[in-house]
Amino acid sequence: MAELLTPAILLSILSASVGAATIILLAALGELLTERAGIWNMGVEGTMLCGCLAAYVAMCETSSPITAAGAAMLAGVAAGLVIGFLTVSLKVDHFVTGLGFNLLASGLTLFLFRSYTAGGKPAGYATIDRWPIPFLSEIPGIGPILFNQHLLTYAALLLVPLVSVFLARTRPGLECRAAGENPEFLEAKGISVAKRQYGALLVGSALTALGGCFMMLAFANEFRPDISGGRGWLAIVAVIAGNWRPFRTMIAVIVFAVLDSLAVHAQGMGVAIPYQFFLMLPYAASILLLAVVRTRSGQPARLGIPFLRR
Amino acid sequence: MIAFERRESAGWIAQAIAYLLAIAAGLLASVVLITITGADVADGLGALWQGAFGDAEAIGQSLAAAIPLVFTGLATVVAFRAGIWNIGQEGQVFAGAMAGYWMSLQLAGAPAIVAVPAVVLASVAGGAAVAALCAVLKTRFDVNEIISTMMLNYIIVYLLSYLLAGGPWIEAGSTAYHQTPLIADTFRLPELFGLHLGAPLALLATAAVALVIGRTPLGFELRGLGFNPVALRYKGVRVATTIVMAMAISGALSALAGVSEVFGINFRLRAEVLNGLGYTGIIVGMIGALNPWGTLVAALAFGAMANGALYMSVLTDVPSALVPAMQGILLLFVLGAAVLTRYRLRFGRKDGRHG
Repeated sequence: MAELLTPAILLSILSASVGAATIILLAALGELLTERAGIWNMGVEGTMLCGCLAAYVAMCETSSPITAAGAAMLAGVAAGLVIGFLTVSLKVDHFVTGLGFNLLASGLTLFLFRSYTAGGKPAGYATIDRWPIPFLSEIPGIGPILFNQHLLTYAALLLVPLVSVFLARTRPGLECRAAGENPEFLEAKGISVAKRQYGALLVGSALTALGGCFMMLAFANEFRPDISGGRGWLAIVAVIAGNWRPFRTMIAVIVFAVLDSLAVHAQGMGVAIPYQFFLMLPYAASILLLAVVRTRSGQPARLGIPFLRR
Repeated sequence: MIAFERRESAGWIAQAIAYLLAIAAGLLASVVLITITGADVADGLGALWQGAFGDAEAIGQSLAAAIPLVFTGLATVVAFRAGIWNIGQEGQVFAGAMAGYWMSLQLAGAPAIVAVPAVVLASVAGGAAVAALCAVLKTRFDVNEIISTMMLNYIIVYLLSYLLAGGPWIEAGSTAYHQTPLIADTFRLPELFGLHLGAPLALLATAAVALVIGRTPLGFELRGLGFNPVALRYKGVRVATTIVMAMAISGALSALAGVSEVFGINFRLRAEVLNGLGYTGIIVGMIGALNPWGTLVAALAFGAMANGALYMSVLTDVPSALVPAMQGILLLFVLGAAVLTRYRLRFGRKDGRHG
């Protein structure tokens, strides 16, 4: 392990972690919004996968990262609509819906990918460039870690305070929280609970899919079946461990991201421990995190309970 | 405006209509998918049918493909009926297969009369242990079982990857394939009427699960757990123990799927033959309405689809991935249609007067 911790390598791991964190952070913030509105969306993994495929196809067709991001977010909105129709409109159990949606997304993306590549795989595309921020990126230490990243990484980090302020200080944010805490109250005020929940789900799912898009643009230049590899689940864990608060959720995300990049670096450096054990780390850590961090005071009172109008 | 009114129990007519609607919608969606690929719809579905039921051999293969799905489907039934969201069937299938294979290494040279039961028992213990671990994490450490079972799926799949990809279990001289050497004859599940021992075991398991859930105190506790755990606690039932029991049974059933595939059909352990059995089992159990016999029917249908898909992908341009996509679509339609059975829908105006 000693050779793992030279300053240069540590820097490289941390810098990669911030990149890897972007994927999970976008998804976790989306899930946080959704859960605060009372929808316990377990379909994060599937939504992310839809975003990955949409971004991949858009990138192969147009080579434009902006189109790819748009396509991914549209796919996310579509996923949110399906989940919303089942949970909000039809009152199907939230867990059952999410699990069902994940299975659908896994099968459907595989089918669409195979159909798309049936006539031969399209040539890959180059991963997107970093956007170093002038001056800031030259600060020794944190400069290259925080300020030599992709545009979407800065956006994701900025979203943390934005989501926090949105929920705590704005009227739509308050209404969103009320849908998760006390929907009868919203209803009594003549405000539609369903609309707030749909809103949170659509925005949240678009963010989740954007996380998938970032993964395709910055880390992979080819789609694989189930390429999201559990990151959607890690996002759900981050929200729970973060006690449904944006900043704490970000901390949990960073823990997963560091472990994620550790695996990549260990593989590259030929550490004696088989790489599969490093790959297990984020998943093992997620279970451990839930067992240790057991404050659930921030959990919305009506999270996961379908709201029936009287 | 549509209003929902809860109803206590659904008539079988409502249930039948819901299923027919869902199947029709699922078929329609599959037609759309095949059209996307540019292939001829009739050719595609025809080949799927031919591959599944074309001749006696095809039917036999379809039945064989259904066996593991019966087990993972039943695993879903046991857990979900108890209100426990065990989605670790995938990992528990792997764990069962791995524990069984480990036992076959320990007992090398043993006669079949010892070898087969030992392998089955070891794998059942392996699957049950993994599932029970998640149950304990839930009851002792408050870790949501959806998360722990899902995360363990990844961990276990990587563990097998380590054991096979250059690890201790890989077949000597094999680098292209990550698989174990062939399993000795004495460890293979015996054949009966062209199907391996898993077939009668699957039928037996279905009957046993139906019996246990419907007619035993344990079954009463399981259903009570899913229905009203607080009442169950007041009745003096040790809820934590019941949860562990339910999970262990669920994990043991999943493990049998791993045994069937490895010791009944492929005779070597490799990840490819186990992939997806657990996840498909969740769909099977849910489409079977969490009823053991319904699950058996769903598993037979899904086994046929999986078997037909191979034939279809060879004969036409439709990729075999059509089947998982179809299954996912079918599941969502069944979930959506089930609303007809749980609520009475009232069509009326927003102010509550029915128009």
